Amino acid sequence: MPQHTSLNSAASAIALAFACVAAALMITQALNSIFPTPLFFAAITVSTWFGGGASGLLAVALATTVLDYYFVPPSHRFALKAGELPYLIQFAIPALLNCWFVKKRKDAESSLRQARDQLEYKVRERTAELRQANQQLKTEIAERIRAEEIVQKTQADLAHVTRVTTLGELAASIAHEVNQPLMAVVINGDACLQWLAREQPDLPEAREAVGRIIAEGNRAGEIIRRIRALFKKSPLQKVPVNINELIQDIAALTQRELVRNAVSLRTELASALPPVFGDRIQLQQVILNLVVNAIEAMSGTNRRPRELRIRSERDGDGVLVTIRDTGPGLPLAEPELVFGAFFTTKPDGLGMGLSISRTIIEGHRGRLWATDAGDGAIFQFRLPIHTEAG
Amino acid sequence: MPGDPPVVYVVDDDAAARAAIRSLLDSVGLRAQTFGSAEEFLASPRLDVPACLVLDVRMPGASGLDFQRDLAARNVAIPIIFITGHGDIPMSVEAMKAGASEFLTKPFRGQVLLDAIHKALERDRAARHERAKAAELRQRLDALTPREREVMQFVISGLLNKQIAAELGASERTIKIHRGQVMRKMQADSLPDLVRMAGTLGIPSRKY
Repeated sequence: MPQHTSLNSAASAIALAFACVAAALMITQALNSIFPTPLFFAAITVSTWFGGGASGLLAVALATTVLDYYFVPPSHRFALKAGELPYLIQFAIPALLNCWFVKKRKDAESSLRQARDQLEYKVRERTAELRQANQQLKTEIAERIRAEEIVQKTQADLAHVTRVTTLGELAASIAHEVNQPLMAVVINGDACLQWLAREQPDLPEAREAVGRIIAEGNRAGEIIRRIRALFKKSPLQKVPVNINELIQDIAALTQRELVRNAVSLRTELASALPPVFGDRIQLQQVILNLVVNAIEAMSGTNRRPRELRIRSERDGDGVLVTIRDTGPGLPLAEPELVFGAFFTTKPDGLGMGLSISRTIIEGHRGRLWATDAGDGAIFQFRLPIHTEAG
Repeated sequence: MPGDPPVVYVVDDDAAARAAIRSLLDSVGLRAQTFGSAEEFLASPRLDVPACLVLDVRMPGASGLDFQRDLAARNVAIPIIFITGHGDIPMSVEAMKAGASEFLTKPFRGQVLLDAIHKALERDRAARHERAKAAELRQRLDALTPREREVMQFVISGLLNKQIAAELGASERTIKIHRGQVMRKMQADSLPDLVRMAGTLGIPSRKY
């Protein structure tokens, strides 16, 4: 055990004992004290405290000797008389006890200090370790965040590709959707010219025709707006969304496709449906995907009637959307299979639609699942409703 | 009947397209009747005037043609102008074969539609005329006795009176009287005339 504060070499211990006793003697003589004992106790205490046990014992011996020589009559003599002895013993025993207690106290203090030092060292050590672990954790978190960002970006890219692919499948229908109002514009324009070219130009009729031209132009614009929104590649933008509006948009966009495949659409949309919190385009993509899948599933069979039902309803603290078709249904053993990546029943399908749709819904803290209805398939998703608290 | 204003039936499930076409037809003084679906059109009574049908095959691909067959099955002989969003060639060929008078791909100018309508109405007028003539011939045919009809079948096959008499076991004189009755009742000027009428009526010739 290293002694940090007391002098540890034997020489300095002896020197200390001599110095202390000598100092006590000089002070006592200078003061011409009659009771010198307390000062010598102090000398022993100092010697023991700073010089250790040996130094203390030496101080006891020296002090006893000095007392005998200088203060016990007859003074300036070492000759011990029987009468002096009790006095000296009376001094020596408390002096020894003092020495012992001081030593004990000193030892206790130094072991305490040592323990404290050790603790401090350990704490420093642990702190360093913790700091290092913390740093490592920080690096890992940063890496993880970066990886998640990459995954999110990749998913967004994939979602965009799938969306564009789905829209590509609808290209003919979409072109027709735009063509329809265009035809009305042209025919109304020609009708307007005819009304004006009459011998008595029919202005009210001409005006009405122009009114229809404007309405149809707006209709074409609205269709293009819907499509462009779906083609857009934009970062996630979560806002309160009215699910019914999304369903209506998709119904309008796929109207031609439904008609082309002899599918009748029935929508049962709950009125006063609370908004959900999400990205319009992504949620629209999910509905589009489910609707296109349903149409394709039904067009592949000769089962009649071909009916697509889209239903929205409040479900506790969420909104439930059900899309039901009368197609061939799902592989009974494992409906979940259809959500796997690259699962497809189409010869040229990517097999990503449902997988992406599920990712999107789960990214909105919702759930997307499928069940077989016996006479078709049911796809349902549930999204938590939007609250001010988020 | 002739001189009655013709009617144009428009079947289109898009209300905006219906309104536009109706306005165009009104503007040139053509009478239009519009319908939102094929069923609606079939359920409505049709006028006995020259007519044509403007049909948007925006409805399911095959069913536009199904509808055309439906009409034929119901003996509704009416020229059809097909309107389509995508000039699907196999479909247009089939439509033409089934008797469509025109096939227009959207968008088209109003004049193109009007021209097609006028052509179709002209065609229907002619067809109605033909049908009226055939109906009259049938009336004449119905006036014949069974014996006279029998004789007529031999006559249009080119048999001489003597041969017919032998076939039917009658005298040549009786056959001659029957033959005269046939020519008179059918209002036929000559044997070739009678043969043509028989062709129109679809009466088979009778060989011995």
